[in-house]
This record gives sequence, C-alpha cells and structure tokens, in this order.
Amino acid sequence: MNITPCSIKTLKGLYDISGVEVGQHFYWQIGGFQIHAQVLITSWVVITILLGSVIIAVRNPQTIPTDGQNFFEYVLEFIRDLSKTQIGEEYGPWVPFIGTMFLFIFVSNWSGALLPWKIIELPHGELAAPTNDINTTVALALLTSAAYFYAGLSKKGLSYFEKYIKPTPILLPINILEDFTKPLSLSFRLFGNILADELVVVVLVSLVPLVVPIPVMFLGLFTSGIQALIFATLAAAYIGESMEGHH
Amino acid sequence: MATALMAAATTSCSPRRAAPLLKPMASSSSSPSSARARRPLAQQLPRLLATAAAAVAAAPLPALAEQMEKAALFDFNLTLPAIATEFLLLMVALDKLYFTPLGKFMDERDAKIRGELGDVKDASEEVKQLEEQAAAIMKAARAEIAAALNKMKKETTAELEAKLDEGRRRVEAELVEALANLEAQKEEAVKALDAQIASLSDEIVKKVLPSA
Repeated sequence: MNITPCSIKTLKGLYDISGVEVGQHFYWQIGGFQIHAQVLITSWVVITILLGSVIIAVRNPQTIPTDGQNFFEYVLEFIRDLSKTQIGEEYGPWVPFIGTMFLFIFVSNWSGALLPWKIIELPHGELAAPTNDINTTVALALLTSAAYFYAGLSKKGLSYFEKYIKPTPILLPINILEDFTKPLSLSFRLFGNILADELVVVVLVSLVPLVVPIPVMFLGLFTSGIQALIFATLAAAYIGESMEGHH
Repeated sequence: MATALMAAATTSCSPRRAAPLLKPMASSSSSPSSARARRPLAQQLPRLLATAAAAVAAAPLPALAEQMEKAALFDFNLTLPAIATEFLLLMVALDKLYFTPLGKFMDERDAKIRGELGDVKDASEEVKQLEEQAAAIMKAARAEIAAALNKMKKETTAELEAKLDEGRRRVEAELVEALANLEAQKEEAVKALDAQIASLSDEIVKKVLPSA
C-alpha cells in the first residue's frame, strides 16, 4: 500500500511539469481592456519565426534555388495551387491572404506541439499555441468572413446580395444563417482540435510519462497540419464561392 | 480540474497519514484468527472509507469550483482585435517579403525557361533550313561540276578532232607530195630509159648488121 502513494507523488511531480491549465490566462491591461498576454507572446514568436525564415531564405533568390529557397518556392506553389483550385483563375490577389492564413495557423499549431513553452514560466496561465485561444481562431474566422464579403462585393457590386435569394427566396434565412455558421464552424473547429490535441497529450503524459504519448504527439502534429490546411482551403473556398457567378 | 483531484488523492494517501491507519490492520492480520481481532478491521473499513471520502469531499470541491470559475475558455477581449491586427500586418509583411517577390521571380524564371525552350525549337527549324540550303548548294555544285565536265569533254574532243584532222591533212599532203615525186622520178626514169633505148637499139643494129 505504500507503493501507491509514492507513485502518485511521483506522478504529481510529473503532472506539475506537464499539467494543463485550461482556460487560465495571463492578463495584461491595455487602456482599460484586458488582453491574453500568453497568446500575444506566442503569436509574436510565431510571427518572428515566419518572417525570419522567409527573410533568410528568400532574401537573394537564385535561378537554381538553394535549399531554403527551394522549400519556400514549394510552399508558395502549394499555396498558389490551393488558391487556384478553390478560387479559380482570379486567384492572384488572394494568395497573400490564403498563404498567410495557412502559414500562421500551421506554424502556430506546430509551435504548440514542438516548442518547449513550459520552460518559460508565466505568473498565471501558460504559454501554448496561439490557436489554442478562442480569440485567435475567432479573429481569423472573422477576417475570413470579411475577406469573402470584400471579394464578392468588389467583384459583383451590390448584386452580390442577390445570392441570398438564390435559388429561391425561401432559402433567405438559411443563406443569412450561413454567414454566421461559416465563421463559427471555422473558429470552433480549429480551436477545438488544437485544444483537444494539447489536452490529450498532456493527460496522457500525466498518466504515462514515457513512450505512450509519442504516437499521440505525432497524431497531434498531423492534426495540426490538417487543421491549417482545412482552414486555408475553406477560406479560399468561401472566397471563391462569393466570387463565382451564378449565371 | 484534474490537478485538484490529483492533489486530493495525494493528500489523502500520503504515507504520514496512512501509517497509523495501517497499524491496526497489520496487527490484526498477524494475530491468530479470532472473532474479536477480526471485528476491528471490519469496523475500521467504513471509517477508512469515510475519512478518504471526507478528504476528497472537503479539499478538492471548493478548489474545483474556484478553478471552474476562473477557467475562461470563451473569454473574448482585446486579444481578438490584437490578433486580427497582427495577422493583417503579417499578411502585408509576408506579401512584401515573400509572396510578391518570390512569386514574381518564379514567374520570370518560368517565362525565361519557356522562352529558351521556344528558342531551341526555333533553332531546330533553323537547322532544317540550313540543311535544305546545304542540300541545294550541293545540288548546284554537282550540276555545275557535271556541266564543267561535259564542257571540258566537248572541248577536249573538239581539240582532239582538230589535231586529228590536221594530222590527216598533213599526211595526205605528204602522200600527195610523195606521189608527185614518185611520178616525176618515174617520168625522169622513163625519159632516161627512152634515150638509152635509142642508143641501145643503134648499138644492137650495128652489132647484128655488121658493116652492112
């Protein structure tokens, strides 16, 4: 009977390292508004990683690409391909939006899985992937909504709103509802997946600290990548949908 | 949430508190089996459970409730516009540093490669043209050579014939001359013979007709 308490104590020690604090935030006050500092800090790290690697790799493009440039050319072709498939021939102006969406979410998700945020201790809450916070995912989803409205309005003008009574005016409520469900599903899908992934890893680590969580961690990396791809693809699909003519 | 439960478990099962509870159990099991000794264990079991339950109930639930209160999963605040702004800035920066320059570079390279491939195709046409030209030149040269050969043959033949003619003519002339010479010699010989014949006949007559 002595074994159990001791192992529980050890587990608790491990748990304190790997413990998850759901919904705990490290608050900053900015002009009377509260802000989740841990999200801001990790997003800065993500942005630094993105901009830094891009600057290093693409600073001086060669006709025969070097390793880094080759990688970023591959990424760019991938993003262009994705945008072209979803938006069509007029995909050009939307490449930066879709590309930034994909890269930001992808690097954020993987940073949550790969970077040892736990080393840096915060007074309250903990550092995790920026996409682990509902504010981030909702911000991205709302930007996507704004983007597809802008795309539709700039392409078709006010006749864009005709799509609400197509194919029949009976569908008007559902069509209006769609504008709300789109950002809702986008943000909650990403938020839920990343949060659940990190929770599963943390709980498994707390239960069995060695070996067992590794497959789940790899699964988490896979899920993170897929989620970034899904978000970018859906954003592109929405933009393409609002730009295409229903004639 | 899980932290609180775990904390409760460790506090209730810490060796310090578990030790006194274990003592009677150990003594009872070591003592020979008797109804009296077994009873305390049976009585203590519910008490044991009760203390554990009390520990779990007393310590973790307020903590749990407190944590549940503090836990704010759907806590919307300034973070949302901040992240949106950050995203837009990142988009502009990435566009300036990555998408536009590298995209332009790649397009230019594609265009260049395509142009060079087109040039190569043009070059093959040029090669074909050159080959045709070369064939035409060869043909012309052959025709020229054949013409020159023919001409030369004709010239040579004419020359030869001329020489042959000349030779024949000379031979004929010589022949005529020789014949003429022969004729003259013959005539001379005949003349000489005529004169000799007269004298000879005179002498014959003198000899045959002596002093006649």
